Amino acid sequence: MPTKVPNAPESWYRTREGLGIWPHRGKVAAVGVGLSPTARRWDGRPETSVGAWSILALRKAMEDAGVSPDQVDGLVMAQDTATGSPWPPGKPVPEDFLTTFQPTDDPLDGLTRLSAEWILQNTPELTNVKFTMYGPGCMSNAIVVAAQAVGEGLTDTCLVLKGWHNLEGRYYVGQGAAAEDTIAGRAKWTTGWGTVACYPTAMHFEAYCRKYGVTRDMHAPFVVNSRKNGLLFPEGFYAQHRPEPLTVEDYLSARWIAKPASLLDNDLPICVSAAYLFTTPERARDMKQKPVYILNHASDRIKIRSVMPTLEETEECAASNARKLYEGAGITANDLSFEGMYDGFGQFHVFHLEGLGFRGVKRGDALHFFQTDISIEGWNPVSPSGGNIGSGRTRFWHHTDAIQQIQGRAGKRQIWRKAEVGVTGGPFPYGGNFTVWGATPG
Amino acid sequence: MAILISFDIDGTMEFGDPPGGITLEMVRRAQELGFLIGSCSDRPPSAQQALWEKHDIRADFVAPKHGLDEVKSRFEADDYLHIGDRDTDQQFAERAGFRFYWAYDAIHEPWLTLGDAQDLP
Repeated sequence: MPTKVPNAPESWYRTREGLGIWPHRGKVAAVGVGLSPTARRWDGRPETSVGAWSILALRKAMEDAGVSPDQVDGLVMAQDTATGSPWPPGKPVPEDFLTTFQPTDDPLDGLTRLSAEWILQNTPELTNVKFTMYGPGCMSNAIVVAAQAVGEGLTDTCLVLKGWHNLEGRYYVGQGAAAEDTIAGRAKWTTGWGTVACYPTAMHFEAYCRKYGVTRDMHAPFVVNSRKNGLLFPEGFYAQHRPEPLTVEDYLSARWIAKPASLLDNDLPICVSAAYLFTTPERARDMKQKPVYILNHASDRIKIRSVMPTLEETEECAASNARKLYEGAGITANDLSFEGMYDGFGQFHVFHLEGLGFRGVKRGDALHFFQTDISIEGWNPVSPSGGNIGSGRTRFWHHTDAIQQIQGRAGKRQIWRKAEVGVTGGPFPYGGNFTVWGATPG
Repeated sequence: MAILISFDIDGTMEFGDPPGGITLEMVRRAQELGFLIGSCSDRPPSAQQALWEKHDIRADFVAPKHGLDEVKSRFEADDYLHIGDRDTDQQFAERAGFRFYWAYDAIHEPWLTLGDAQDLP
């Protein structure tokens, strides 16, 4: 086992336009998917910790792909398992957790973070893992890193993992800059004054509505449709625990968090882990599921002029990202069967969608587009997974769904039109990691 | 004496997530006393309605948590109570002119000592 697991080198990320076709287009495939159960908060039992559920997800992904653990030679994952749910200072780690698992030198490993060392120590059947690397933050990042690693021949049967924990108490509240005695850097203009996480997005959306003469209520059909799709995702939180659909009236009556962003524009923190199995097309032939080919990946590294991006910077970043995605995959917007861009905050999706030019949507068009048939039954399925709005805060439902859609096993969520090419990613329209998936190598 | 009780759901009601200490039996008892009962929660109103129906209780109202003032305008009562487990419950209750009880105190059913309820067996 490696002693120090690195983050992916910056050179692996395709952050510029003009790079041409991705050299590994169609030479990496996603085959297996594994998900843990979901919960609103950790119940304190070792067997439901983010570590335990991540191991469960890994095992399910291997089983789904029909791969034995000794065939796996790579592990790419994100270490962070939440963005706003820290372990309370001074609170002891439960003794039964410490005795159930092999610890690392961090007693919170497996509880509020995950290292590759912890995973490998506690998944003893993974005996042949030679390549480990972090794609920090999100599954979107880990996917990009794993795709690049398989493409470059550093691993040929690679597990990709992301876990999420959520402890009791308030998410984000009183954390970050707000928890410090003094504040330096950009935060002194934002969170130090109590602004909430969705504040920048709310500002963008407010500016967007004024710029294009549209109104917030036009966003409601997207949110309602997303929850509807999420309730068709049996692995998701709402399908498992709160199977009530949303109505337009629910959306319009939800309380403000940062006007014009309301409670229902913010995603619900949950506990869950997901794993995928990536491999080469040659090896995929012997596996249980149909391979889903990775046609390209792209990442944003926006340079902003102030403490947060402007609306125009956000729009241009999303558009540039789409150009990178299409260029590297050798496709156009017309080739997309569906899109699964990030939605947690809901208004992100407006900017992602317009950046992609999905179904010809141009700047200022998205809310009008939401008034048309964007359901999975129509020609223009928007966010068929339902994303975070539909299934809880993970930043990975859209990736899971893209694999399942193209494999033809999305169940009741399967889009009506043939799922041949999809694009997913996030988190931000002004910064993130994105992937193009295809039914054929391209 | 007309009394209206609004219950938060998560962290307050036994069917909330997390479960709270207010039981369905307590709610039924209040309703049998003639109290107006319902919920003001961050759960969407349609989901609140579905939860009450699932538990076979006819709620007089459901509303977003910040909709307590609107509930007050719809129902005439001598006393308005909101039961919750968060600062936001207290904040919205007091802003709307409701008396506020923390969920952990409300498990003692303080409303049973209000008005005609004292005459009950």
